[in-house]
Amino acid sequence: MPNPDLRPGSDAEWQELLARLRRQPPPEPRPFFYARVQARLQAERTRPLPWLASWLRRPAYVVLLAALLLAVSGDGTALRAAPVASHPGQLSPTPTR
Amino acid sequence: MAYCLPLPATLAESPTPSAGAADTELVAQLQQGSEAAFRTLVARFQGRVYSTAYSLLRSAEEAEDVAQEVFVEVYQTIGRFRGEATLSTWLYRLATSRALQHRRRQNARKRFAFFTNLLGLTNEVLHEPPDHAHPQALLEGVQQLQQLYLHIGRLPGQQQVAFTLRYEQDLRYDEIAAVLGTTVPAVESLLYRARHTLRQHLQPASRHA
Repeated sequence: MPNPDLRPGSDAEWQELLARLRRQPPPEPRPFFYARVQARLQAERTRPLPWLASWLRRPAYVVLLAALLLAVSGDGTALRAAPVASHPGQLSPTPTR
Repeated sequence: MAYCLPLPATLAESPTPSAGAADTELVAQLQQGSEAAFRTLVARFQGRVYSTAYSLLRSAEEAEDVAQEVFVEVYQTIGRFRGEATLSTWLYRLATSRALQHRRRQNARKRFAFFTNLLGLTNEVLHEPPDHAHPQALLEGVQQLQQLYLHIGRLPGQQQVAFTLRYEQDLRYDEIAAVLGTTVPAVESLLYRARHTLRQHLQPASRHA
């Protein structure tokens, strides 16, 4: 819990706080920043199939996605168990007119 | 990304003609694929890009990540730069938008970690790590600045960018307007609201009584 007495209250205190903010030395990146940028550029160049989302390259996700597409597309016959045909007359589940 | 190429044609002019000419020459060399020009660009702007990202994220690791991303993006998209804005405006724009993206991702990760922890899926500790700063660090000035940094980080994105560019990067109003792709009055409004919010949070408790 900060001490409320230390907070800036007056305009002068506020202006002084802003001036102190301006006087803060700017943070600098660690040495050899350019080398790390180059390494990152190299990594970007060698990254395989950047246009393909990384999760899509995992087989488990691909199988899951395929199953989901099958489930939501069409009438879902792909996921329904096929009726057992005991004889040729029962092949079609809908009555013929 | 909130704002990116192509750049609008209404952006501020370069601060000085010589700097503008040097930037134009640098861009021309970059567009020809000059590695030396890219090295010059990084050397010239790495401080500004890094410190802008640091001001918005308050994390050396994330600021480094953002700064690298910015220069990689510059390298990859310099061919589309038409010089409608100054080079520094473009870099500030990339740095601020990337930093805000990082902040959004970080907040989303925190929320996700919170929920997975609630569900018992992870054993992560949720509380903020304790601050073991030396009592010397709790001197008045340092504490005030820490409070200010804390509340700057809680400002809405545009206000935070405007405030940071004004008071930490020392940009002029028209330069900030160019970075944000807005007008000078809009920047004045953003800064007014930011200062008002910050002062409210930093007022002594007695003033609210």
